[in-house]
Amino acid sequence: MSDEFSHSQRLKAAIHFTVARFCEEVGQDCQKKYSKLAIAAISETTFKQCDIFARDLEAFARHAKRTTVNVEDVKLAARRSTSLANYISEKSEELTSITKEQKGRRKKQTGKRTSGGSLPEAAATGADSSMGDDQDALA
Amino acid sequence: MDDREPEVVFKKETVGKLLSLSFRDEKTKVSGDAVLLMAEMLKIFVQEAARRAAKQADAEDSDTVDIDHFEKILPQLLLDF
Repeated sequence: MSDEFSHSQRLKAAIHFTVARFCEEVGQDCQKKYSKLAIAAISETTFKQCDIFARDLEAFARHAKRTTVNVEDVKLAARRSTSLANYISEKSEELTSITKEQKGRRKKQTGKRTSGGSLPEAAATGADSSMGDDQDALA
Repeated sequence: MDDREPEVVFKKETVGKLLSLSFRDEKTKVSGDAVLLMAEMLKIFVQEAARRAAKQADAEDSDTVDIDHFEKILPQLLLDF
């Protein structure tokens, strides 16, 4: 029980940290400073809102007879405001295209690795290290 | 462009753990893309809260955004999400 308590406290702290950075960013943009209490209030609201989102997502997934929450459920959670819904579907398309691209590259690379000798393999890893995901591509 | 400080985002891990903390059923899981999309949604939520509070502070001629400014915009914010 106390373990669970500290776990949620740490997550709250993580949210608080990120919210403070967001406020700093927005504050620079509109020449405002945020008081500590205001930042704490925004963090607490975000934490509660996330709890509401999570329960919605779980219910949506269960309604679709799934146990895994997927992108469609998140889109459904963003339905209340049209512009937010549009933005979220745009982002989700972006995400799926990125994932597809990564998968395609990974496939290509494993093909190279099995067919080629040592030289093309070295070239492939050299080219891919700039992308930062060579580790899981090779794993 | 990418030499500047990295963009502020919620970490994928944090959002994933946060979601699983609130699930009633421990069998419920979240796909990777869904977690990233949720991180995006929370980002919008926080930015919207910060901007609306700043606007409220501006309307009251205050340089610092205080908790009462945020309290005033809170009901509409929650209705919009």
